[in-house]
Amino acid sequence: MAAMAITKAITVGKIRPAAEPLHVLGNHGAYEVFPETEEEIAAVLQAAHAHSLSVIPMGGGTKRGWGGTLEKADILLCLSSCRGIVEYSPGDMTVTVKAGTTIREIAEQLAVHGQMLPLDPFWPDAATIGGVVAANDSGPKRLRYGSARDHVIGLRVVYPDGRVIRTGGKVVKNVAGYDMSKLFIGSMGTLGVMSEITLKLRPVPPCQSLLLLAFPNADFPAIRSFVLAVLDSTMEPVSLELLSPALHQAMNGRDGYALAIALEDGEKAVRYQEEWLIAHAPPGTEIRSWRQEEAAHWWSRFYRMFPSGVSPADRQAAEMALKIGSRNLDVLELVKTCHDLGERHGLAVEGHGGLGHGISRVYVKGDPARFAAYLQEVRTAAEERGGYAVVQHASLAVRRQLDVWGRPPAGFSLMQGVKRAIDPRQVCSPNRFVGGI
Amino acid sequence: MAAIDPLVRELSQIVGPDAVLYRREDLIAYECDGYTVRKQPPRAVVFPSCTAEVSAVVKHLHERHIPFIPRGAGTGLSGGAIPLGGEVIISLVRMKRLLHVDYENRLAVVEPGFVNLKLTNAVAAKGYYYAPDPSSQYACTIGGNVAENAGGAHCLKYGVTTNHVLGLEVVLADGEIVEIGGVPDTPGYDLLGLLTGSEGTLGIVTKITVRILKNPEGKKTVLAYFDSVEEASRAVSDIVAAGIVPAALEMMDKTAIEGVEAGNYPVGHPKGLEALLLIEVDGISAGIDDQIARIVEVCQNRNVSEVKVAASEEERARWWANRKTAFPAMGAISPDYLVQDGVIPRSRLPEVLEKISRISARSGLRIANVFHAGDGNLHPLILFDARIPGETERAVQVGSEVLKACADAGGSITGEHGVGIEKKEEMRYIFTDEEIAAQIGIRDVFNPQNLLNPDKLFPKPGRCAEMRTAPGEAR
Repeated sequence: MAAMAITKAITVGKIRPAAEPLHVLGNHGAYEVFPETEEEIAAVLQAAHAHSLSVIPMGGGTKRGWGGTLEKADILLCLSSCRGIVEYSPGDMTVTVKAGTTIREIAEQLAVHGQMLPLDPFWPDAATIGGVVAANDSGPKRLRYGSARDHVIGLRVVYPDGRVIRTGGKVVKNVAGYDMSKLFIGSMGTLGVMSEITLKLRPVPPCQSLLLLAFPNADFPAIRSFVLAVLDSTMEPVSLELLSPALHQAMNGRDGYALAIALEDGEKAVRYQEEWLIAHAPPGTEIRSWRQEEAAHWWSRFYRMFPSGVSPADRQAAEMALKIGSRNLDVLELVKTCHDLGERHGLAVEGHGGLGHGISRVYVKGDPARFAAYLQEVRTAAEERGGYAVVQHASLAVRRQLDVWGRPPAGFSLMQGVKRAIDPRQVCSPNRFVGGI
Repeated sequence: MAAIDPLVRELSQIVGPDAVLYRREDLIAYECDGYTVRKQPPRAVVFPSCTAEVSAVVKHLHERHIPFIPRGAGTGLSGGAIPLGGEVIISLVRMKRLLHVDYENRLAVVEPGFVNLKLTNAVAAKGYYYAPDPSSQYACTIGGNVAENAGGAHCLKYGVTTNHVLGLEVVLADGEIVEIGGVPDTPGYDLLGLLTGSEGTLGIVTKITVRILKNPEGKKTVLAYFDSVEEASRAVSDIVAAGIVPAALEMMDKTAIEGVEAGNYPVGHPKGLEALLLIEVDGISAGIDDQIARIVEVCQNRNVSEVKVAASEEERARWWANRKTAFPAMGAISPDYLVQDGVIPRSRLPEVLEKISRISARSGLRIANVFHAGDGNLHPLILFDARIPGETERAVQVGSEVLKACADAGGSITGEHGVGIEKKEEMRYIFTDEEIAAQIGIRDVFNPQNLLNPDKLFPKPGRCAEMRTAPGEAR
């Protein structure tokens, strides 16, 4: 039935029964469909809508372990063939790309004109712009540059019934109608399939450096007052990321908490800030620094620390990643709590968090039977501070044992209303998002 | 004398008799906002003093199916706060407290009636500021800024209101109070982003958490005079192409310069100029001189007739006062003016400006251009005389033609002023009926009876749109 409906929608060569019947991360499909154009995406969704089939869109598959309790949908819509730059206007500093284009590919094309996409999500080699925007993924540099909601200026979205709806536009400033793009950013594929994404760009800074400040004594009051001094200064760090001892060890073979401070600006401005930071670092701080390509290399290693759907299969199942949102300064206490709780639960925990942007991430390794209890304690700690904790990666088996998203947020009935208005038949990524949306 | 509307008595019981206006003479001030082409009095104006009162008023109106409009300072330029028939205006100006400043986490919590510039003034002593700076910032409220997703001259580098709002308390169309956001990336759909810029049609904002920023270490401002609009426009693209992100990049043409020089804050620009650029760079002081040198070089390559750097803070402030009062300054050279708000890709500035000048010539109405060139946000000021029969209509028509030119160049009909009632029909220049219907589908989730600021933002539905939203499930 499903097969017949889809074969009418798309050329036979672009559809196949799933190569593997199951996937350890779930979010699989009975059929894998590989559209190459927006028309083909629309045709597949139209058929799915008509026959009430479920569809899970997927880009590079890095976020396959994020949300959802479905073993498989009827259709896994693989967007990896919808790739490439549609329109790039360096003079306007805007680009329109197809959803299946990887972050790396976009970066390489923009670099030719000295420009960049100011987003630093994880696994840029595999992660696609569609997936990054759909999951609202971001990295430490959002401190300075912001996140997807600050860069996306327009979308082409294939609605769950196959209609193509444009949101926003192609200009950097635009308040015509509702800011509909925001609804799709971070919607986890539950409101349709983005086919094209238009983004604001920035010039590549001429100079970049990374200072790694290590605090072997874990003197938290001293770290806190240093961070406050930086935030209250006129310095303009691009990241102010706290690394937990285990992550610091994994990245640089040293023990203790550390701060990764990225500086990106003209050369004089970068040197001046380096000097300022070194002069103001607390006594006993060990400072290492990397410049230009070396700094970039450090970050590219960092972006691969995360367990993801492209990690080796044994890691995918045995690791869990959490995303924690809080007030900026609470990151300090939360990263420490995550580390301490790891020791108590007998789990290896690598964590980091942005002082100044409020997003922390924790990578947990060990006995998956202990994950739920660990999550519960981390979540309580975050919620006590007005924040939240969600599971960003875990195997399907683990996800089914715990609450990935936590309790429904304020305004949840409005969110259900939005879902009903756009996807009344629950075609797109059913049950993948908060509260079972 | 006509009997008092019973609704007035009911509302007085909620907010107190001194917080309701209903006499005809008291309602005149609420007939319009900054868009003065159309006027109509509201049924009444209420002034709640807290969220609970807003909620109670809304509940009362909702139960009786009486439409209502939230209003801040009334500085909006697209008619978003203008009644169209029988609405009650809920004015938020009594809710004007700064509730909380958290310097460690760089945020401030304000009530919706708190004036934009007051926030910067309140945190200035510690070296902080609130970034969105619409030209009306001395009067406009942050609640209104959220409703309109207001911009300003410095949005080129720092973004518009939506990039600075961290959390909202909102009274929904039925009076329910919800708090959204607060910490970044809260799980669920981004209601914060959707509500910002929804022009008072999705909810009434009663508390706002915004980001505050540290003042940049250094700041320099350049004024560049050109003998040709085209060369000035090309200089704008060249500056951006050189990898510089100025904090602001503003342009004025000949007519606009004539206006500001006749206004209250003349700078003494030389006579006979075709265009000027006002360019500001900020950031780490050590890097600024290099950027200024690049900008000067770019301008010279584009045959700038004079380029100078502000020698003092006083000079810089004078240049900005001259620019920021450009709209009212037009009053010195024209009895009336209508401001438009189109956006284009900045690389297409020369051709669109040329088109606008042809529209001006054809209509016989002068158009002054003063705008945020860096982000391609044009503000053509259409000069007219309302006393001449038919000229107001002609000005409105010219505005619409200008927006068509922007839309045709791949742009938008509004960059920061909103759609309101002014640009409802022009929504069709950039969205299909189906796309407009999709937006109305979202409005219906929040505002199912269309009581909240009705008949704003969207054109009268096209036949096709009616058909396409009607599979029965979308509501």
